[in-house]
Amino acid sequence: MSAMKQTLVLDGRKIELQQGDTILDAASRTNTSIPTLCHDPRLKPVGACRTCLIEVEGSRRLLPACATPATEGMVIHTKNERVDRHRRTLLGLYLTDHNPDRHYGLGGAPNQLVAMAHEVGAPTDWGQLPSKRKASSEDDNPYILFDPEQCIACARCTRYCDEVESVSAITLAGRGSETTISTNDGLSLLDTTCEMCGGCIDTCPTGAMTERKAAEMQAPPERDLKQVRSTCNFCGVGCQLDLHVDEAANDGRGRIIKVTSPPVGTTTNDGNLCVKGRFAYDFVDHNERLTTPLVRDKAGVLQPATWEEALAATSLGLAGVSERHGKNSLAFVSSSRCTVEENYLVQKLARQGYGTNNVHQCAAT
Amino acid sequence: MCSVSTPTDPHSTIPDRLASAGGLKKGVARGLSRDTGLHEADIYGVGSFYHLLARPEKRVRVCGGLSCQLAGSREILSACQAAGLPTEEISCLAACDRPPAVLRDRRTLPMVTIQDAERSGGKVEDLCSNGSESVWCGTIGPQDAAAETLCLNLSAEPDWSGSAFKAAGTMGSSALFDLIEESGLQGRGGAGFPAHIKWRAVADQAEQERYIVLNADEGEPGTFKDREILLRRPDLVLEGLAIAAAATGSSEVYLYLRGEFEVPGGVLAEAIQATTKAGRFPGITFHMHAGQGAYICGEETAMLEALEGKRGMPRLKPPFPVEVGLWGKPTLIHNVETIACIPGIVLQGGTWFKDLGRTEAGSKLYCISGHVQNPGTYELPLGVSLDELVAAAGGYVGTLKAFSPGGASSGFLPASERGRALDFKGLGAIGSMLGSAGVVVLNDTINMRWAAEEQLRFFEEESCGQCAPCRIGTHYLHAAVKRGEEKSLGLTHVADVAWQMNEGSICGLGQAAALPLTSALKYFPEDFA
Repeated sequence: MSAMKQTLVLDGRKIELQQGDTILDAASRTNTSIPTLCHDPRLKPVGACRTCLIEVEGSRRLLPACATPATEGMVIHTKNERVDRHRRTLLGLYLTDHNPDRHYGLGGAPNQLVAMAHEVGAPTDWGQLPSKRKASSEDDNPYILFDPEQCIACARCTRYCDEVESVSAITLAGRGSETTISTNDGLSLLDTTCEMCGGCIDTCPTGAMTERKAAEMQAPPERDLKQVRSTCNFCGVGCQLDLHVDEAANDGRGRIIKVTSPPVGTTTNDGNLCVKGRFAYDFVDHNERLTTPLVRDKAGVLQPATWEEALAATSLGLAGVSERHGKNSLAFVSSSRCTVEENYLVQKLARQGYGTNNVHQCAAT
Repeated sequence: MCSVSTPTDPHSTIPDRLASAGGLKKGVARGLSRDTGLHEADIYGVGSFYHLLARPEKRVRVCGGLSCQLAGSREILSACQAAGLPTEEISCLAACDRPPAVLRDRRTLPMVTIQDAERSGGKVEDLCSNGSESVWCGTIGPQDAAAETLCLNLSAEPDWSGSAFKAAGTMGSSALFDLIEESGLQGRGGAGFPAHIKWRAVADQAEQERYIVLNADEGEPGTFKDREILLRRPDLVLEGLAIAAAATGSSEVYLYLRGEFEVPGGVLAEAIQATTKAGRFPGITFHMHAGQGAYICGEETAMLEALEGKRGMPRLKPPFPVEVGLWGKPTLIHNVETIACIPGIVLQGGTWFKDLGRTEAGSKLYCISGHVQNPGTYELPLGVSLDELVAAAGGYVGTLKAFSPGGASSGFLPASERGRALDFKGLGAIGSMLGSAGVVVLNDTINMRWAAEEQLRFFEEESCGQCAPCRIGTHYLHAAVKRGEEKSLGLTHVADVAWQMNEGSICGLGQAAALPLTSALKYFPEDFA
């Protein structure tokens, strides 16, 4: 086995390669920025958006950095007259099919295309084409909104739905300038295999796939919201969440506008969330939300109580049932929101505290 | 995309199943999903890609190609609609020599008249060409050519002796590759790539499972030579394929015919049946596959995707199909005409073939249509000029203004190029190409802005939509050149858009699609004034 490190030359710098590197991988490790739109490290590269094209000496055509294996001895240029012109004209062309003033999606997510176009100095005076992409008019699902005008047909959403979720509820549909994102027969997502994980929103680079609730609220864009890192408490996995809070709303008490996942590769959930973590946050502000324990008084009416009072009442009640009807008249069911440690404690409480093996966890069915 | 990823009979792929189900009607994808276990959205995505599947209610499709338009196809379109026929326009039907053509379900009808449309009484089944259902062939020539100057010789009787297959077997692969190299045979589908390099590359792969694919998805506007070969000389096609399979160590041959080729497909299917029954090419299996309507599937990697049952979107190259082709295996892909040259080369020698050409090797089928007396398919030395070709086709109609030497993708050339050799190298040198040698002649009654607009409409409709330079670029250029809409965009940025499409597009469609407009602007600026 040769221990010789493989190298290539990137913008005049010699860099070492790792097994399986694409040109984009090698460039990222050396902090060489190559713009991408259709790339998501969770997905197989397709090289379709063309923003990452770079020049490799000896290749007649520009090559997609995301999909081209980095090989020994390559001489790569990520910035030169040809590559720069390519980026400017490509992004200029994108803008003719895309409103250049839309810095945000309808749900407030930043539009990476527009930001990138401004960054490279893409022309904005090539005129505007009427968008030929369509969205289904039948889709009445409460969570996910597709804005075809903002879509660049990069297929990150459909590939995510297939490759990460194995759901394939959506597809590229049609052909040519009419290429769009659709479900089978344009059905509502509710009538498909969609699990409403919202991964399509997470991966969308332009905000075309967006949170319907945030869009309907016409809330301020993400930039103007406070971002609060939190842990999802719907189950024991511990997915990290970023709550986007409009601090001025609700008379200064604040309001969650939407929930996103921290970026890919930063937390255990790797950019992914499920329907609960991403969309089930309305309870936080709900006017029927319980904020203190309640104990029934002698008349049977629930009254606010302290935790000490509530736990004492529970303990007394459980002991009474056990005494009157036997230990196995009790059963303990823990919530799917509990962590593994909490579940351990529940079974310990059941077995040691109350002497019964009747213990269950609601997610185990 | 959760699609069939192992070699199966392509007739069980999603496009085929959708075709059997009568196209992408509501509910069909869900039903097929139940039958196959594939995701319904994926099935819908595939169906919506192919125009013969996506709009099943349109059973009459009138060709919108240039030659058919010169023969009044738009009037036919209106007449069909007025007669109550469910009609839409369709991209070139490869019947430019017998215009205007109409596709009725999968059957191409030549020279349809307004009376034909009226006579149908709005019943699709009753739409005929001159009341006739007969199988038709186009004009071929030149009529006075000596047989020894022709490699394909379309007017000759099919030769089912299998003598070339036997001779190639005796020769052995290595000697055969040398022979093909000596012949100078270049791919006749458009790129003009030396054939022997591909044969050797497939034969040299470590992977032993290999495939042969015939590209009979003839869709380049102005091109219809493959249709003539399939109709008249299926023997040459099957024998060429069998020789290729035996020489490169493959036993499975896939034939991908465009969906509109119902009649040529029938002839070929019959020939395959007879060949198989007679045991002419032992150990070799032929699989026919009908396309479902998409010009882009003539691009070799899009064709592989279509054969695998997916949306016909071209793959990134490299890797090339000789290494990673059908179902990931080494695959030799050839156009109909290229493969049909093989038996002649084997029987008569590489030098013989090479010497049939003038500026480049071999005789060549030129398709000529538009403003000429006798549109048709002419086998002439590779490198004849337009004037010579048109002389063979009976002369010009009117005064020559412009011509398209190799389909829509080759753009337009001015009359001053009428003496230039129509070959791969020479046309490439002036920014055009021989392509598929679909020559369309336009006389001075034609406004080139109109001609460019029609070609851009074609490219916008036929872009696969995968990559932005092509998807947006074809839309942009079509809108920019379109009368009435040009004000918002203008022609100021056409050169930049064209540069981007050529530089940024994944495949040849996008790379070439700006040519009709940029060449028209270059040679005929007065038509844009």
